[in-house]
Amino acid sequence: MALLKGTLDVLVLKTLSWAPMHAFEITKWLEDRSGGRLAVEDAALMQALHRLEERRILSAEWGITDKGRRARYYRLTGTGRAHLRAETKRLTEYADTLTTILAARSARG
Amino acid sequence: MRRLFRLPLRSPARIQSDADDELASFLDARSDDLVARGLSPAEARDEALRRLATGETLEATRARLRRSAKRREERVRVSDFIDEISHDVQFAVRQLVRTPGFTVVAVLSLALGIGATSAIFSVVYSVLLRPLPFAHAERLVSLRERNGRDDTQGMVVTAGNYGSWLALAHDFEALAAYGYGSATLTGAGEPQSLQLLRASAGYWKAMYLPPTAGRYFGADEDHPGAPAVIVISQHLWQSAFGSDPRIVGRDITLGGRPYTVIGVAPAEYALAGGLTDAWIPLALSASQLAEHSDHEYAVVGLVRQGVPQSRAIDDLTTVETSLAHEYPGGFFDGGIITQPLSDAVVGSARQLLLILLGAVLLVLLIACSNISSLLLARAGARETEIAVRGALGAGHGRIVRQLLAESLVLAMAGAVIGLAVAAAGLRFLVTMTPQGSVPRLDEASLNAPVLAFTIAIALGCGIVFGLYPALRAANPELQQLLREGSRGTGGGMGARLREALVIAEVAIALVLLVAAGLLVRSAMLVQRVDPGFDPANVLVAGISLPDARYQTDDARRGVLDRIASLVGAVPGVAQVAMVSRIPIGDGGFDCRLRAEGADERAFIIASVRSASPDFPKTMRVPLVAGRFFSPSDVAAGPPVAVLTRSLAHRLFGEADPVGRRVVDCTSGSTEAPLMRTVVGVIGDMHANGLQRDPTNEIYVPIAQVVLEHSMKLLVLGSVAVTSLVPAIRRAVAAVDPLLPLARVRTMDEIVARSLAVSRFTTLLLLSLGGMGLTLAVIGIYGVIAYFVAQRRREIGVRIALGATAGRVVRLVVREGVTLAVIGVAVGCAAALALSRAIGSLLYEGVSARDPLTIISVALLIALVAACASAIPAWRAARTNPTTALRT
Repeated sequence: MALLKGTLDVLVLKTLSWAPMHAFEITKWLEDRSGGRLAVEDAALMQALHRLEERRILSAEWGITDKGRRARYYRLTGTGRAHLRAETKRLTEYADTLTTILAARSARG
Repeated sequence: MRRLFRLPLRSPARIQSDADDELASFLDARSDDLVARGLSPAEARDEALRRLATGETLEATRARLRRSAKRREERVRVSDFIDEISHDVQFAVRQLVRTPGFTVVAVLSLALGIGATSAIFSVVYSVLLRPLPFAHAERLVSLRERNGRDDTQGMVVTAGNYGSWLALAHDFEALAAYGYGSATLTGAGEPQSLQLLRASAGYWKAMYLPPTAGRYFGADEDHPGAPAVIVISQHLWQSAFGSDPRIVGRDITLGGRPYTVIGVAPAEYALAGGLTDAWIPLALSASQLAEHSDHEYAVVGLVRQGVPQSRAIDDLTTVETSLAHEYPGGFFDGGIITQPLSDAVVGSARQLLLILLGAVLLVLLIACSNISSLLLARAGARETEIAVRGALGAGHGRIVRQLLAESLVLAMAGAVIGLAVAAAGLRFLVTMTPQGSVPRLDEASLNAPVLAFTIAIALGCGIVFGLYPALRAANPELQQLLREGSRGTGGGMGARLREALVIAEVAIALVLLVAAGLLVRSAMLVQRVDPGFDPANVLVAGISLPDARYQTDDARRGVLDRIASLVGAVPGVAQVAMVSRIPIGDGGFDCRLRAEGADERAFIIASVRSASPDFPKTMRVPLVAGRFFSPSDVAAGPPVAVLTRSLAHRLFGEADPVGRRVVDCTSGSTEAPLMRTVVGVIGDMHANGLQRDPTNEIYVPIAQVVLEHSMKLLVLGSVAVTSLVPAIRRAVAAVDPLLPLARVRTMDEIVARSLAVSRFTTLLLLSLGGMGLTLAVIGIYGVIAYFVAQRRREIGVRIALGATAGRVVRLVVREGVTLAVIGVAVGCAAALALSRAIGSLLYEGVSARDPLTIISVALLIALVAACASAIPAWRAARTNPTTALRT
C-alpha cells in the first residue's frame, strides 16, 4: 500500500529511534516491519532524509557498513526525539478518532 | 560545553559528490540485499535501479537528490551561523553578568553618550536633513537682491523688480513674492490680531501642498480690483472657526473689510514665512509695480523642471543687471543672492545645531575611549582565561569574535537604554528651546532614520572600542609571553594605550568645557550690558488699527491719544507711551540718514521709530541733550527728530547736534527732501539684541509721522504692572471695543526671550561639557586604580622600607596629574585650533581664545584629575606591606 501523505517522516523517525541507520537500512526496516506491505520510494526516502537533516531533526555522518561499504548514517537529534514524540501523539490520536468514526458508521449501516 | 554541529560542506562540488556517494551506496546496499536473496549481480543491479525511482531516469533522480542536498547544506550553513552568533552572544552576556560593576559603568556611560547623540541627531535630522514638505522642494530657491559687491545677505525685493522678474525670467516655473502684515479679525469671537501674508499667486504654485479644504487663489485673483478672497491657516480655522466644515465660501471681516474664504492651508506653510494666520493676494497696483527702490517682498522661485539652477540664476542676473542700469540708486547692483529654500528656512539654527552635534559626538568619543580603556584592563585581567581558551583550540578569529561579541552586547545594551535617554533628552530639548528659534523642531521624534542612526552608532562604537582590545588580547605572541610566565609586562602595551586614551579624553573634555566656558563668559557679559532702557515693570501690548475704520493719520492719532489718556487714568499706571516698534529685536524701517548739506552718498543707515512724547519717561531712556517730543510738536509744526547719542556723533561729530537738521527719510520723495530739526539726543539702545552693538536710531513724533498702522502700547506701573492687564484691556475696549490687544508681555520677558537662545545653547554645551568631564574623570580613576593594582608589590616594598603614606599618595596622584597635564596641553592646542567654529556664537567682548576661560578650565581639569587619583592613592597608602608582598 502507498504511504499516506505526511507519514513518511514520522516512520523514518520511529525507525531511527532504535539505532542510527543508513538509508537502505531504513527502507529495509520499514519493509520488514510492515511485512512488505509498505512501499517506500527510494528517492523519496533519501530526499526526506535530506529535508529532516536540514531541519536539524536528524544528523548524519559517513560510516562503514558491516559489509565494509561506506554509507551515510542518520541519527535522531534531541530536536528529532521531541518531534517524534509530538508527531506520534498527533497521529495516534488522529488514527483513533478516525477509527471511532468509521467503526460507528459501519455499526449503523 | 555542548557539542557543536558538524562542519557544513563548503563547495558545490563537494555537496554534489556527497549526494552522489550516498545514492551509489544505497544502490550497492540494495543490490547486496537482492543478491543475498538469490538474484544474480546483474539482475540485482537492474532491479535496484528499477526500484530507485519509478517513472524517471537515474540521471533525473540523481539531479533531484543533488538539489535537495544543496538546499540542505545552504540551510545548515545559515542556521549554524545563527547558532554560533547566539552562542557568542549568550557567552558574552554570561561574561558580562559575572562582572556587574564593569558592565553597569560601561553600559551607563554608553547609554549617556548614545542617548545624547541620538537626541541631538533627531533634531538635526528633523531640522537640517529632512526635505521640506513641498512638492519639488529641491528646486525651490530663495532669491534676494544684492546691494554692493560685499553684500552677502542680500535684500528683499522691490515690487517693480519682482514684476520684471515675473515677466522676463522664464527659467522659473513660478515666483512666490510675499510680504508681512497684520489685520484685526472681527465677528469671530473676541476681536483678534492676525498675522497676514500678502502673497502672489505664484506662492501656491512654487510651494505647493494640497489644501486642507477648498482651494488657493490663482493669477486671475492676484490683481487690483479682483474680489477680496482669503486663504486661512489650519490653526485659525480650528481656533477661530471651530473647524467649521462650511468655512469655504463664508465671508469674514478683516480690518473692517469683508473677505471670502476660499480655502484652508495646511500647517506646513508655517515654514515659508513663519506663523501665518491668513493669506490674501498681493495684487500689486500699477504704481507699486513702478517702484524700484523700496525693498519689501521676500521672493522664492521654483526653477523649471530640467533647467540647471545655475542657468536660471544667470538668466535672472541678466534681468536684474539691466534693471540696475535702468533704476540706479535703488539699493541693488544687479547681483542675485540665492540660497536653497531649505537652508533659508533653517537660517542661523544650522550652525548652532552642527556645533551641538559636534559637541555631542565628542562626548560619545570620550564614552567610547573610556570603554575601550575598561576593556583593555579587563582583557589584562582575563589573560589566563583567554590563553586557556587558545590552548583548548579556539582559533584566533574565534577569540576575537567572542571578545567583539562582548563589546557589541555592551553597545546594544547601551543603545537600548540610550534610546530611553534620547527620548527624555529630546523632550527636554523641545520644551527648553525658546519657541520659534529653531524651525521644524517640534516635528523631531525618534523616527525610523533616528533609530537606524542609533543602531549604526552603537555598532560603530562596539567595533571601534572593542576591536583593538579584542585583537590585542587574542594576539598569539602575547599568549606565548604569558605561557612563558613573564610577569608584569603583560600590561605594558595595554597600559601605555590606556594612558593615551585617558590623555585624549582629557583633551576632548577640555575642548568641550572651553566652548561651554566661553559661552558662559559671553552670557555673563551680556547680562551686564545695559540695554539703554529700564525694562522693569513695563508692559508691552500691540495695537493694530484696521485701515477700513481708521483711514487717515488723524483718525489713527486720535484713537491712539484717547487710548493713552484712558490707560493713563487707570489707577496704578505711572506712565503710558506709544512707539511704532519696541527698541529690542530686529525689524522696523531702515532709512538712509544724512545731515543737511552733507554729500548725498555720506548717508548712515538708521532705523526709524515713531514715538509719543512720554516714551523716554516710560522706558526710562536717559535724555542726553535737548528735549524729547512735546505736545507742541504737532503735524502742522516744524518737523522734529530725536537721535540716539552715537548716531548724533556719527552725523555731527563733536558739534552740538541740537538745532541741526537732517534730511527726513520717512517721506518717499527724493526730489524735494524734507528737513527735520534735531531737538534732542537720547542714550544709546541695543535695539538689535544685547549681544550686538547699540544701533543707530532716529525717533520722530507720532504726531507728525504715524509710520505704521500697528503700534506698541507701553505702560509703566507704579504697582506690579501685570496686575493691571484687565484694567488696561477695559480702557482700550472703552475707546474701541473692536480693537484687540495683541501679545501682551512685560518688557522683562521680551529682554529675557531675546537672550533665551544663547542661554539655552550655553546650558546645553555646559551639560555636554559636564558629561565629558565626568566620563574623563571615570577614565582617569580607572587607569590610576589599575596602576595601583599593578604596583601593589612595589608600593608594599616602599612602605616596608619606610615610605610615609604622604609619599605614596604623592607618587600615585603625580601619575594621574601627569596624564591630565598632557591631556590639558593637547586639549589647549585643539581648543585654539577649533576656536573659529564657536566664534560667531560669542558676545563681541569675548575672544574665542579667551585666556581666562582656557586657564580656568585647565586648572579645573587638573584639580579634578588630582581628586580622581586621590581615591586609589589613598587606598594604596593603606596597603599592608606583608599581604602585598606575600601575594
